[in-house]
Amino acid sequence: MKVVHDVLDKELIDRDDEPIGRVDGLVMHVGERSQPRITHIAVGGTALWERVHPAFARLSKRLARIWGPKRTEQVRIPWSRVKTAGRDIKLDVEGKETGAIDWEIWISRHIIKRIPGAGGDEEDDGSQS
Amino acid sequence: MSKVLQITLGIITSIGGFLEIGSVITAAQAGAGFGYKLLWAILLGTLCLVFLVEMSGRLAAVSKHTIVEATRARFGFPFFFIVTIGMGIVAFLVLIAELGGIGLALQILTGIGFPWWAVPVSIVVWLLMWKGSFSLIENGASLLGLVTISFVVAAFKLHPDWSSAAHGLVPSLPGDDKAKYWFVAVSILGASISPYLMYFYSSGAVEDEWDETYIPINRVIAGIGMTFGGFLSMAVLVGAALFFYPKGIQIDKFEQASLLMTSALPKWGFFLFALSMLFACLGAALEISLAIAYFFAQGFGWNWSEDMNPSRDARFAFTYTIIILLAAVPLLLGIDPVKVTVISMALTSATLPLAIVPFLFLMNDPVYLGDHRNGWLSNTVVSVVILISFVLAIISIPLEFLGS
Repeated sequence: MKVVHDVLDKELIDRDDEPIGRVDGLVMHVGERSQPRITHIAVGGTALWERVHPAFARLSKRLARIWGPKRTEQVRIPWSRVKTAGRDIKLDVEGKETGAIDWEIWISRHIIKRIPGAGGDEEDDGSQS
Repeated sequence: MSKVLQITLGIITSIGGFLEIGSVITAAQAGAGFGYKLLWAILLGTLCLVFLVEMSGRLAAVSKHTIVEATRARFGFPFFFIVTIGMGIVAFLVLIAELGGIGLALQILTGIGFPWWAVPVSIVVWLLMWKGSFSLIENGASLLGLVTISFVVAAFKLHPDWSSAAHGLVPSLPGDDKAKYWFVAVSILGASISPYLMYFYSSGAVEDEWDETYIPINRVIAGIGMTFGGFLSMAVLVGAALFFYPKGIQIDKFEQASLLMTSALPKWGFFLFALSMLFACLGAALEISLAIAYFFAQGFGWNWSEDMNPSRDARFAFTYTIIILLAAVPLLLGIDPVKVTVISMALTSATLPLAIVPFLFLMNDPVYLGDHRNGWLSNTVVSVVILISFVLAIISIPLEFLGS
């Protein structure tokens, strides 16, 4: 498998077949004697913008501190939860629990659901079809 | 739905959804300024669009992915980010033009100036997005758009000279006003080859869950639908060539364009023109708003579907809400929609390689297309037309603005 060609930027699909984001970055463990290996998939904000320019990453971090779900740590999904990696990356996780869709939930709760006719009054957001 | 019905509906929606403010204004300017001479630009643009739309549908049917999803996955985020900026700016300008077109149509119907219509029009467009389903937007708006066939009726009523028209299908060099000629040609190419249409079409194919059995249907819809759509643009050009060209009138105001209809159909022409523009621009505004929201949602991996409740794809719904509201602002301030149209169509031509070159790479990638990769014909036609549009655009856009 070619990490950049076959994994990076692919769509992430959770246990309920919902898209939860894309592979925005990969976390690698480089040991003293062992071969380097991928340990986590990074999703969102800084991991993504860092790839374009560090200034964008700083800006995204600053904005995230004043607005939105105020999550400070990077969203990381352990590589061990990857079920299959084809055209999409299928994961054995619940999207909501990873933190990858914090923004989706935040925008749904604070903006979209306050507009009449948005539908879906049930407690959970975006995890069932 | 039976296949025949699907094909019929697909063709009808392609025809009804073809004209928008860009194609009408650029075709009318071409006819008024140069007679039949620029018909070749519509022919070339439509030919390229037929291939591109067919490719968009085929990619979705085979890979179950839209162009945007595949572009990000194949080329990575930093490249995708550059495409996003280019496409985002151009699509946003086109959206302003279409909302302005609706406003101008209402202005000539009611006498109330278009800036007053900016906010109500945006709210109606947003409401249709908020409550409507994908098929309502795709089919409903395009069926109403069939009123644009009245441009064909008008062109016939003005008795075109068919042999001169046929000569116009072959490119020729302009006698005078060369800068203007090439600039209008570039605007026509930009109006015909709209990347947002490809994003909309490929997302629609995924929304409708196309699979490989749709490849022949897709080919028929793209081929026949877009070709007939191209005829509508040609009818506008022919009508303008017959009415304005002999009188030496240049079109730079929206109301002027209505004259080509009123002279051909004195009784109904005015209403038919206003309604044609109203529905054509409404359909296009909906498609572009959706295309922009699809673009961001698919590029960043958010949930997206026009058929879901907004609360289920919040970031998708949030994107089109913001975009539509922002697009109303310049109109509210009275920016001229016709000027925005002309500029955005020329810019579309200039940015075509950004959208089309990566798309061509995808269409030749066995990972996405398997045995259904592009043949040499699609590759050649699209590459050549895009190259022509781009070269003409980077030469003629500076000339046009230096000249005026």
